[in-house]
Amino acid sequence: MIMSEKCKQHVDSCRFCWMCHHICPIGNATGQERNTARARALGISLVNREAIELEEIMDNIYECCTCGACVHDCTTGWDPVMFTKETRLQAALEGKLPEYINTLVANCLETGNAYGKTETCSTLADAIKAHSAKKDTLLFLGVDAKFMACEQANKAIKVLDKAGVDFTVLENEAPSGVQLDFLIGAANETKAQMEACAKALGEFKTVVVYDPNDAKAIKQLYKEYGIEVNANVVTYTSFVAGLLKDGKLEAKNSGKAVVFQDPYQLSRDLEETEEAREIVMSYAVLSEMLLNRAETVWAGNILMAQYMPEVIKLVAKRRIFNATSVGANAIVTACVAEYVSLKAVAEDVEIISLEDLILGE
Amino acid sequence: MQIQMNEFLFAMILTELEDAVGVANCSTRQIDKVTHSVDYYWLSRMWADRGCRMPEADIVVCPENAEEVSKVLKIANYYKLPVTTWGAGGGTQGGAIPVAGGIILDTKRMNKIYEVNTEGMYIECGTGAIYKHIEWAANEVGKATMHYPSSLTCSTVGGFLAHRGIGVVSTKYGKIDDMVLKMEVVLPNGDIIETCSAPKHAAGPDLNQIFIGSEGTLGIITKAQIRIFDQPEDRRFRGFLFQDMEGAFKASRELLQKFKPSVMRLYDEAETASLIKKIVGVERKGAFMNVAYEGVKEMVDVEEKILLETFAKYGAEDLGSEYGEKWWKEKITFFYPGHMMDIPQCFGTMDTIAPYGKIEEIYWAMKEAIETNFPQAKFIAHFSHWYEWGAMVYDRFIVDGKDVPQDPVEALRLHQAIWTCGVRTALAHGGVVNDHHGVGIKLGRLMKEQYGPAMQVFEGLKKTLDPNGIMNPFKLGL
Repeated sequence: MIMSEKCKQHVDSCRFCWMCHHICPIGNATGQERNTARARALGISLVNREAIELEEIMDNIYECCTCGACVHDCTTGWDPVMFTKETRLQAALEGKLPEYINTLVANCLETGNAYGKTETCSTLADAIKAHSAKKDTLLFLGVDAKFMACEQANKAIKVLDKAGVDFTVLENEAPSGVQLDFLIGAANETKAQMEACAKALGEFKTVVVYDPNDAKAIKQLYKEYGIEVNANVVTYTSFVAGLLKDGKLEAKNSGKAVVFQDPYQLSRDLEETEEAREIVMSYAVLSEMLLNRAETVWAGNILMAQYMPEVIKLVAKRRIFNATSVGANAIVTACVAEYVSLKAVAEDVEIISLEDLILGE
Repeated sequence: MQIQMNEFLFAMILTELEDAVGVANCSTRQIDKVTHSVDYYWLSRMWADRGCRMPEADIVVCPENAEEVSKVLKIANYYKLPVTTWGAGGGTQGGAIPVAGGIILDTKRMNKIYEVNTEGMYIECGTGAIYKHIEWAANEVGKATMHYPSSLTCSTVGGFLAHRGIGVVSTKYGKIDDMVLKMEVVLPNGDIIETCSAPKHAAGPDLNQIFIGSEGTLGIITKAQIRIFDQPEDRRFRGFLFQDMEGAFKASRELLQKFKPSVMRLYDEAETASLIKKIVGVERKGAFMNVAYEGVKEMVDVEEKILLETFAKYGAEDLGSEYGEKWWKEKITFFYPGHMMDIPQCFGTMDTIAPYGKIEEIYWAMKEAIETNFPQAKFIAHFSHWYEWGAMVYDRFIVDGKDVPQDPVEALRLHQAIWTCGVRTALAHGGVVNDHHGVGIKLGRLMKEQYGPAMQVFEGLKKTLDPNGIMNPFKLGL
């Protein structure tokens, strides 16, 4: 397998290192030794030494959610996410992707989303239509919200309406490219999607990105790809926190006791941890899980649930256990994918989005 | 040991194991077999580095509880299949490597935390829990496990129990074998047993201590009650520089007759000039020692006074608290790639325990034996676990990559020869074969030299409990 020297160095450092064994949200949920950074590195190193075939490790390469908990935990700066994504790219270039990944990639290329969806629900479609006029501010919903959680997307629109924000939602929103980046890394197709999206966003003065996954892509990954966005890009959470500060949203604290699930894209990648908390504390009483802010534990997503649904359920259940361990019976989320994952398995605990909290629903 | 397997029989056994633990938790995938074939043991790492495949299990099973473990062991006994227990693979002695093939039984699905009991001061958990996770559980109620090895995040509760692990605050709080109240164990025949409800008693020999350190050769520990402690009101550090090791030993022995610090680490001149200089920043000639003392503040005040008076008597230079605090902060950094010894170097840690009358002599004898017989090897050491009666020397050899044969068998020969030389020297001077990393396949051959006719006690237990010899074959010298 062709691999950059930088990646090989990281692989050979991680293959015999156990220090982040405790931190992988998937490894902790499944209890499988292969779901660790060192196992993934060991597999890749053996492929590099022609001791095993690339195809033998590809399922495991796709069992990584790329949340970066291992990267964050590593004192010496080794980066398992980097070599995992480069292996995905190489497998794509060599035509060695698992079939279920090929399907998702094909969907991304044909429809702009891995789910192959072309239409959203009628309520959201109507709301988008009502905001189709060109304004200075764009609300960028993202494919997860638009096609897999349209009720939440609708609420995101309602919150901005409630605050009197004048904004646009695009009917034909370009995909951010974050799904392709996850599936096949820095391929030409990924960059092309990102460039198209950046161009569309450049038509607006301010872009409010609803999904933290897209926010990470647009604010951070685009720079790595050398793509510029000619707009002021802000996360939905920071934008709404600003609305609260400016008194455009009326906050009434219900006294409800909650914990907050930090999306790693905000807390680790964009270093944004307090804005969501300001919102939560305006409407509820916040306590903290032991692993919070940059130490957050990923609670699942919709994309990986397409090919490993049972594992995503285990991941979400484990995070709920973290919450209930500190006596919480309500978790507030700021990421639509985590909302969906947690909601799917929640039994004795309430899952509330920030929008639910603000709208009192 | 291995039965003559054919495709039909293999498929039959696989379905039985799938029935026992669930299809999703029973794997013959290449990635699972490869992953469980390389642990932290230098030889397995070197083998993989050379592009060779270590011995692999035929089937990897991940049971959820003792009942499922029991089913697996009954199947394994019937077909006479080897069973090697795997925690997280952080062991250095090759104890988790399935050298005879058969079944790898990975314990990490048995990671449930059943109870955090602040009255009885214990956490009851499955032994597949990563130790750091039970530390978090203790922290959530304001307590701590006080078991802080460098492998805290790497290893399971069962892994530490299997080889008698130890942490950096052991001098005050004890080894892992001091931290267990009660255990659940699955015997090789599938019977599930529990040890006594209290760890100290007069109800015959201590069942806990029979299974702790048995490295999966006598049964599989599936659940344990692990002690928790109050967080100390105060934890203070003090660095010292001794001009020679002899003074440090005398000072430490005297100190331990007065009170128990939590951390005591004495680095020889070679380690002071390398690791300590690099990570802690001490750029002085001599032997660096770091001491921590903790607990109720008034007690800590008194302990600090005793420490300073005692060490001053032996000419120790007081370096203040800065280096000790830095060491505490960086105590795990030592073990990350880039700081830790790694391939292509050849290395090993021969942690040796002995009484005070012998430990310093052992250090010098091992240093001479290794440096004389293997001039390509560097010998460095620190003394990091101390008792009223003796101490442990964490003695390491390092051979630069340029002096390590590329041929894997020749590299294996060199590694084995250095180990044999070092440990035999320790035994000859009154040391014990190992302090806290265990025996595994690495040191099994030296167990008979250690124990002599006493080895028949272990062999008798093995024959009675595991007559088919399926449990972790070729480990612990059994």
